[in-house]
Amino acid sequence: MDWQSRIRAVFATSAQVPDDDVVEELAEHARAMYEAMRADGLSHDAAQARLSEQLDLWRADSAALRRPSARLPAPDPPPAAVSSRLAGWAQDVRYGARVLRRQPHYTLLAGVTMALGIAATTQLFSVTYGVLLKPMPWPRSERLLALNETRGGRPPRFGSFSNAAYLAWRETATTVEDVAAWSERTVTLGEPGEPERIRITAASASLFAVLGLRPLIGSFFGEKDEVSAEGPVIVLSEGLWRGRFGGDPGVVGRLVQIDGQPHRVVAVLPDASSYPDRRTRAWVPFRVMPTTGNSLAMFGAIARLRPGATAEQAAAEATRCGRFAADTGMTTTAIFGARGPIEVRAVPLRDALTSDVRQPLVVLLAAVGLLLATATGNVASLQLARATTRRRELAIRAALGAGAGRLARQLVVESLLLGLLGGGSGLALAALLHRPLSSLLPADFPRLADLHVDAMVVLFAAGVSALTGLAFGVLPAWHARRLDLVESLAEDGTAPVGTTGRSPTARARMMIMGGQVALATLLLVAASLLGRSFAALLAADRGYDPAGVLTARLPLPASMYTPPRRQALLEAILDRLRTMPGVAAAGFTSEFPLTPGGSTGAFQIHPPQGEESAVTVQASPRIVSPGYFAALGLPIVAGRGFAESDTETSAPVAIVNRTFARRYLGASPLEARLPMALGHGGEGVEASVIGVVDDVRYVTGSESSLPEIYYSYRQLRGGLDAVVVSLLVRTAGEPGALAPVLRTAVRGEDRALAPDLVMTMEDRVTTSLARPRLYAVVLGGFAALALVVVAVGLLSVVSYTVAQRSRELAVRSALGARPADLVRLVVGQGLAVTGAGLGIGLVAALALSRSMGTLLYAVKPADALTYVGVTVTVASLAAAACAFPARRAARLDPWRALRSR
Amino acid sequence: MGTNALSRELKRGSTELLILALLEERDRHGYDLARSIGERSRGAISFHAASLYPTLYRLEAKDLVEGRWVEKPGQRRRRYYRLTAAGRRALASQRSIWEDFVGALNRVARIRHASP
Repeated sequence: MDWQSRIRAVFATSAQVPDDDVVEELAEHARAMYEAMRADGLSHDAAQARLSEQLDLWRADSAALRRPSARLPAPDPPPAAVSSRLAGWAQDVRYGARVLRRQPHYTLLAGVTMALGIAATTQLFSVTYGVLLKPMPWPRSERLLALNETRGGRPPRFGSFSNAAYLAWRETATTVEDVAAWSERTVTLGEPGEPERIRITAASASLFAVLGLRPLIGSFFGEKDEVSAEGPVIVLSEGLWRGRFGGDPGVVGRLVQIDGQPHRVVAVLPDASSYPDRRTRAWVPFRVMPTTGNSLAMFGAIARLRPGATAEQAAAEATRCGRFAADTGMTTTAIFGARGPIEVRAVPLRDALTSDVRQPLVVLLAAVGLLLATATGNVASLQLARATTRRRELAIRAALGAGAGRLARQLVVESLLLGLLGGGSGLALAALLHRPLSSLLPADFPRLADLHVDAMVVLFAAGVSALTGLAFGVLPAWHARRLDLVESLAEDGTAPVGTTGRSPTARARMMIMGGQVALATLLLVAASLLGRSFAALLAADRGYDPAGVLTARLPLPASMYTPPRRQALLEAILDRLRTMPGVAAAGFTSEFPLTPGGSTGAFQIHPPQGEESAVTVQASPRIVSPGYFAALGLPIVAGRGFAESDTETSAPVAIVNRTFARRYLGASPLEARLPMALGHGGEGVEASVIGVVDDVRYVTGSESSLPEIYYSYRQLRGGLDAVVVSLLVRTAGEPGALAPVLRTAVRGEDRALAPDLVMTMEDRVTTSLARPRLYAVVLGGFAALALVVVAVGLLSVVSYTVAQRSRELAVRSALGARPADLVRLVVGQGLAVTGAGLGIGLVAALALSRSMGTLLYAVKPADALTYVGVTVTVASLAAAACAFPARRAARLDPWRALRSR
Repeated sequence: MGTNALSRELKRGSTELLILALLEERDRHGYDLARSIGERSRGAISFHAASLYPTLYRLEAKDLVEGRWVEKPGQRRRRYYRLTAAGRRALASQRSIWEDFVGALNRVARIRHASP
């Protein structure tokens, strides 16, 4: 006999049909009863009659024959006596932990969401704190100032302070204890060990006193050691000392070769105190010379305030003293682009070192805060949904005597536990990823070595975890206070027909969802703007063609090469390069075109028209080889380039760029007369302009192109003065593959010569854009994460409402609604929420993106394409997220939905 | 209250205790429980199996017992129930409540009964 069919037939006419496994259990019971009665000797009919009585009793009580689908945690037995409040809290914690353990999927989902949000926030905070907030490593560093000089309101092309201003102020300063000068350069470190290019800082002896430094061993150089710019003493960094000298305590007095010149070690400086940063490997003395004739020396300058003095007072005093400095004529114009008295500004040192990353870091911190808020919203929404399904448990506890406050406390404790769980995981994740992520920062990022996961960061993570835990615990706790006991204790957990969407839980979840969509939209707009800006930077027309070019820097220090030797050497190297296979063009320049500024000169010319008086010109002179323009891919737009026939004995010639021609030479620049380059050998010699070349455009500087004059190195009778030149080689194939060819050509002419920074031009361009790329990538990552969080959240919320509304949808379907109508109902609700959030997000983005204006290139903050793209993306994502629950709603079997719980 | 009504109330309240106590000995399935109760009480409690399963499901919902399907070779699968740790605690608590209750009844109504 098929007992299960018999049981089903019995319940066919009852109000509630038991589930399949209950039917199976009852069937086994009936079978066992029948077999026992038969074994006791009853006849088949008698046994069946008894059985029928039993079955009738079961059918009469069919409502009670339901096994609950989810197991609720057992309510606590009434506590005998809670001796102290602490025991109550401990109980809440234990209970909360048990609740979380019982629902591992939920705990995992919520925990991972929070962990990701908190990891991202903690990581960014550690960078922001380390760079912007952490005190600098020097004693009382808040008293340190960075000094900037301007003339006629214009900053200098290079350096920030002149020897004129420095000397004028230093002797009579009352607002500062002392002033120090410093400038960085790259040199070749020779014996002992392999030759290596290192960065050193040339500094006045006062640097150590101003910063309050103490040597690890030895003693710093004093003023007497500043005799010449290449003094024979040197202070090593701790890193260099340990690396090159094995931490030898007897290093003081040993000699090291710097650009071929021996220097005597006098001290070792601890790495933690390095100035300006840890990339400096050594310090050499540097004397600030008085201005002679019209020369001006430019360098960096810092000062330490006297107690009681302010930065403004110091700046005012320096400006006053500067009035008495000698006028340096055209040199001032060359460097500052204007003449006028010295004006000094003083800013706190930390601000000066970090000013260009401050705004981007703040923007990124705000963005990560939005991401965290989005993640918190998801978990809050999930907590709310769970609170609804736990109504019965809460009602039982309330019936057993727990007050509303106690229940709320329990929920808050659970949420705090979840928050701390997520936070702990997030902190661990951030600590794990700290080293690899920090290595993604560009090497010139300020205070890179100060970035650690230290006590402050841990404290921050703990605080944020607790705050977010409270944030997403508040709503369910508030909800618990408004519990209706009787309604909750009734078995039915689904919403009555017609009230969905108006229940407080569903409303709250919808509002949270809308907020999340708004935040994600904001992030996506910001990320898109930065991304498009970066793409524009990459594709910007720089005037030259960076593809297919290999570059290298060639140091030719004065201690090893004379000007005529340099000239001959470069001639030979270029000849070699031109004969090598794959080389289409080769050349060199004294100044590399990637950074604006560099050498600058000023002079007076009479414009070709002749009517006006002399015009003062500020331009950048460059010494190049004839093949330079071809190698760089810089087109000649008028006249001709340098030829082999332009030599020392032929007429001096010059080439200018478009900006120079337009600004100073009018419509017919050719045949204009300009001063010849220094090094030509003659006095007051003029060069004739033979050609105009296109502008090199600097995309990341404040001016897009500068006036430039080019001279051919062949025409310099005195030889080449530049101590560093840049080689360029153009090839039709892969430029990187030419690196060994280039090195061979160089070494073949001089074994001691070591080209460095051998990179393709495109790599240089990309490296110069390292920061914009970093910001775009980071913000893009945040936006992508936020979108994932929102999609998951939307899926969860819409599924929840479909489940809650299953009865209502079943009724509609039974009354004739088509699957398409149900889908439209479900998706429509999801899209309505998304639409509201999208609208708010776009408006907020429009308002806030103005503050990002300085970070953008060639893209306006209100760029229409970006906003349209973001709208389409978010709407599509929302539609996709609603698709699954909508499909489920469409496939609903109305009879099953109406019959089941 | 008549004797029948009182006995009904008493029997209803004791169902949970009976089931928990039986499960304390060993895991049982539903029919086994019904039969054991009938045998042990020597028929005094003619246990309506109608109230067995609702009570079992209630106990399951309160996490005092745990049910699982067991399939032995040669048999159909059956659902066995076992006592959880919470169930053990509840059993001990209910036992002591019953003992107090009966003791109080004794003192007040001077009902004598044999100790189990």
